[in-house]
Formats: sequence, structure tokens, C-alpha cells
Amino acid sequence: MLRPKVKPVLAYLVLIVPSSLIILGFLWLLITSFSTRVEGLQSLGWTLNNWRFLWESPFGPQYPSIWAVTLNTLVMSLIMTLIVVVVSSLTGYALSRMKFPGRKGFLSLTLILHAFPSVTLLIPIYFVLLQIAKIPLIGRDVPLLGGFGYNTIGGVALVMVAFQLPFGIWIMKGFFDNISWDMERSALIDGASRFKVWWQIIMPNIKPGIAALSIFSFLTAWNAYLIPLTFTAGRAGKSAVLSLYLQNFISESVMTEWNAVAAVGLFQLVPVVLFFLFTQEALLNIYGGGKKGGV
Amino acid sequence: MKIALEALNKHFGKVKAVDNLDLEIGDGEFVALLGPSGCGKTTTLLMLAGIYKPTSGHICFDDRVVNHLLPKERNIGMVFQSYALYPHMTTFDNIAYPLKLKRVRRKEMKERVQRSADMMGIGDLLDRKPAQLSGGQQQRVALARALVKEPAILLFDEPLSNLDAKLRLRMRGEIKRLQEDLGVTAVYVTHDQVEAMTMASRIAVMNYGVLQTYGTPNQLYNHPDTLFVAGFIGAPPMNFLEMTFEERDNGFYLKTQALEIRISAERGALAKQNNVPQRVIMGIRPENVSIVAEQDPDFKAEVYLIEPLGREDLVTFRFVDEEIRALVPAPFDGRIGETICLKLDKEKAHLFNPETEVSVLRTGNGRSS
Repeated sequence: MLRPKVKPVLAYLVLIVPSSLIILGFLWLLITSFSTRVEGLQSLGWTLNNWRFLWESPFGPQYPSIWAVTLNTLVMSLIMTLIVVVVSSLTGYALSRMKFPGRKGFLSLTLILHAFPSVTLLIPIYFVLLQIAKIPLIGRDVPLLGGFGYNTIGGVALVMVAFQLPFGIWIMKGFFDNISWDMERSALIDGASRFKVWWQIIMPNIKPGIAALSIFSFLTAWNAYLIPLTFTAGRAGKSAVLSLYLQNFISESVMTEWNAVAAVGLFQLVPVVLFFLFTQEALLNIYGGGKKGGV
Repeated sequence: MKIALEALNKHFGKVKAVDNLDLEIGDGEFVALLGPSGCGKTTTLLMLAGIYKPTSGHICFDDRVVNHLLPKERNIGMVFQSYALYPHMTTFDNIAYPLKLKRVRRKEMKERVQRSADMMGIGDLLDRKPAQLSGGQQQRVALARALVKEPAILLFDEPLSNLDAKLRLRMRGEIKRLQEDLGVTAVYVTHDQVEAMTMASRIAVMNYGVLQTYGTPNQLYNHPDTLFVAGFIGAPPMNFLEMTFEERDNGFYLKTQALEIRISAERGALAKQNNVPQRVIMGIRPENVSIVAEQDPDFKAEVYLIEPLGREDLVTFRFVDEEIRALVPAPFDGRIGETICLKLDKEKAHLFNPETEVSVLRTGNGRSS
């Protein structure tokens, strides 16, 4: 038996070692982005030069500016979050509350899809998006989104939605499962229609779940790399997102400016950190009991 | 409003949750559905509410079949065991919700909410959220919400089970009084026989989805139709002894190895008329077993356990291989192991056919004597 005082010390030690590795990494990122050169964690000269990309395009006018790219990323993340939350909460409610043929099969299928490696589907999805691009009105040339076809913000969001939905549906189903049947029955007897029960009684009570799923989806979209890379024309295209913008700095012909890469990386990180600061409690709900923090 | 259930069935897959139920509830009556958990009583209630659709059979409100009506079209109020309050709404909004859905005008809504809240004694809690209320207060909000739309039928699904003993006793009285004052038809589901006995004008006892008996609390207590009802109603429960029924020397006798009692000619004849088998189960309530002086006992037994209940003591006696419990005036001065003379009130004894579990003391109208 360990003495009671040794135990917490040991626990802290176990926690400090792995987290310090990550913290050191971020520290390096921060120092590097404001330095001309670094040696370990020591700056060899401070500068703002690496942050130049904020006010001028470092690669010439044919490349989109950081602000256009940020707007793209924001639009894509919001669109994806919105669709995921709406579809997941409707589907989750049906799966939690209604009996219909194929319900069990649907549930296990979604679980399998969630486990499916997305990489294997990249090529078929590419062809699907090419076809969507041919559909008039929604295929291309939609303001802000570009459309839902290949090389558009909407198209990337659509693919991301598809990959995110299985997870979202299961999470939402879990939250609905935690709402007592009695509350719903009570509302039906009070005179509400099924839709009103869902909207006025059930949805307000799974706000923590909606919050958690929104944040989770938003972060997934914000940090996505593989799907935007595959389904847009890449860093140069009008549909570029932040994770692709980083690529501008890494090329084979010119020496990579690691300090600038660090700055852009940090820029992409800032909203995420802010997000976490304000929402981590809601995010914890996704793995917690669900009902906690409700009411 | 009158309620009639005709040949009502509800099956969940192969399980018959409610099996061929016939029940009539008069206008303004308070009926309890009583039975152990899983007996189909809540299923029956939810069919009345319109939440479950019957597999077959009819539900009639005032001679009108309502099977196809949605819950909101049935003009019912319901109180749940879990209260089922809406946690994101204030007490006012909870009570007002049924009126909001009916698009009652703001001013009238306020008045009606205030009136039913005052009736339940929660008029000053209207701006609180359910989480800020105690269990008893939450139950009152649930009652106020059920009453605010002035329903024709009130349904209760074990509404007092989550309250502590003292509060339960108080709410029991309040609900009964309220129902009488309003004259509204009420159906009350419970597994607590004391609740059913004290509140209901009639009790329907169910087991395995089947209606066992339907009668006034008095009938059920004094003249149970079946072994199940006899054992389920009454606390402490009825004693059961396996005995032999004999007719000799112009008299009727019940015998075991250790005791023989003579029952009245009238009751013996009735049992005979009902084809009493040779082996019967005799049931007798603990209050009908008494301690007597040495002369003329029915049998002698050894004190095994003494449980003081305050006003009376519950004493368990053992004789041969049998056990019998008696309620005797407190304080009981016997000691454990002591042999005591006991007498049974034979006119209060019940006889059941062990095969069919039905009373053999039934008279022509189906009620046991």
C-alpha cells in the first residue's frame, strides 16, 4: 500500500510527463512564430515578419488571401455543423423513440460506417462530386458556398457531413434515450403533437447534447485536412481552407520557412483554443451522462 | 364520464400484457388498478390515455368508442410516478402548457393556472423551476397541470411511490378529497394495496394481465374470490394452511395432522355445492387467530417470533410443520418457545380449491361468502 500522500504525487507525475511533451510543442510553436531563428526553445531574434501573411499575400495575387481562406473554413465548418446537428437530432429521435422495421439494422450499419476508414472512399466520392457539379443551380456558382460539387466549399462540407453523421446520430440517440418516456407521454396528453413534443419538450432538454455535438463537429471541420485536400483544387483554388493554406509554405523548390509555418499554424489554432476555453464543459458532456448540466 | 373496457387486449410480441380485460367504471368513481409490477395495470392506463393502441377490444368513454382518438382528443389529465415535469420550464409554464396548446387567451390562462396552483397549495412557487422544488411540491405541480384543463378523467400512475412515507399518507388523503370535490372519474394505478384500499371506491386486482377480481375494498378484504387476491390484499398477509375437507356425523370438518376444526353447516354445504375437493387451502387472516385460555383451544402452537407493531403484536407460531401468524393485543407476554393455546374464528376462514385457486365459498352471484 502506498502512503496516502504519495498517491497524488504519483498521479501528477504520470500526468505531467505526457502533457509536458505537448506543452513543449506548443511553446516551440509560439516562440518560433515570433523569431527569426530558434535554437531549441531559445529565440535568436524577435520579429513580426512571420505574421506578414495577415496583411499581404506572400505568394502573389493569384493565391487567395488568408482572410478569404479563413472565411472559407468558417463557412464550411458552420454549414457542416448545422447539417450534422439538424439531421442527427431528427434521426437520433426517431431511432430512440420509434419502432420501425430495419431500425436495428440501421443502427448497426451506422456504427459500421463510423468505423469505416474514410480514405477507402475518396476515389468513388470524387466521381460523385464530379456528377453533382453538373447539376444546375446547386452544382456550382452558389454564392459563398461555391456549390455542392467538386472543388466547392459546399461539396467538401457535404462529404464531411456524411462522414460525421454516424457519430452524430449515435451521440444524439444516446441523449434522447436519457429523456424519460413519461415526459413525452405527458406532453402528448397535454395536447402536443409529435413534432411539438420534439421541438418544445425534448429538444430544450438535450441542449447539452446539441452543444457538444456542434462543438465537436465544428472542430472536426475546422481541422480537416484530407477531405479538403482531395476534393478541392488545393491551396491555390478559390475553395482553399486553412489547413491547405499551410502547404503554401512547404514546397520542393524553395526552402521551407518553418517560422512562417508556425505562425500560420498558430493562427489556425487560436479559434480552436478560444472555443475550448468557453465550451469544454459542454464538450465533456458527450462522454458524460448526458443529463448533467441540463435543466 | 363513464369508462368501459370491452375484451381489451394488448400484446407486445408474444407477451400478453393485458389479456381480455372487461371493466366498467362509473361516472365520478375512483377505481384503483392493483397488482404486482408487470401485471398489466400501467399498460391498461396507457391505453386509456391513448399512448398505447389496444391489440384488440374496445375502450369506451360514455358509450363512445375512443380507440382511434389521440391522447389530446380524450380530455384526460394524467399524473406520473416520475412527475414528468418539463425541467426547462417554470412551474407556471408547466401548468400552463396544456392551456397554451389549446390557445387559451393569456388572461384566462393566468387565472386558471393561478386557481389550480392555489388549489394544490403551490400558488407562491410559480416562478421556480422543477429542480428547485421538493418531491412533494413537484407532485403538486404535476397534479395542478393535470387539473388545469378540467379533464373528464384523471389518470394516476403510481403517483405517490417516490414520496416519503409521511408525505405519501398526506397526499393520499388530499388526492382522495380532491377527486371527491371535483367529482371527476379517476383511475389510479398502484402496487400498494393500502393505497388502493384507502382511496378507491372499487379495486380491480390484476395479475399476469388478467383481471382477478373487481369489487369494493370491503368485498375484496372480507370475501376474496381467488387465492391470489386473498394473499395480495391485507397486511400482514393471510395465513394459508393445506387441509383436508371431510363430511361426517352431519358436520363439516377441516383437518391437518395437528388440528381439526368444525365449520358451520351453512358454509360446509356451500363448499360442497361448489364441488369442494378433498384437499383444500384454508386461509385465515392474522386478526382472526386468537389466544385463548387452556380450555377449548383449536390447537396448541409454539411461539417462534414476536414482532411488536405498537397497537398490536404480530406473533408467529409453529406447530408440527406449519406456521401461523396472529395479531394479538399488545403487549404479548409470551416467550419464544412457549406453547400457547390458539383459536380460529371459523366464520372468517376462507377455502380455496388448490387446483383452480378459486374460492369454494362463492355464492350464486359469484361473490364468496
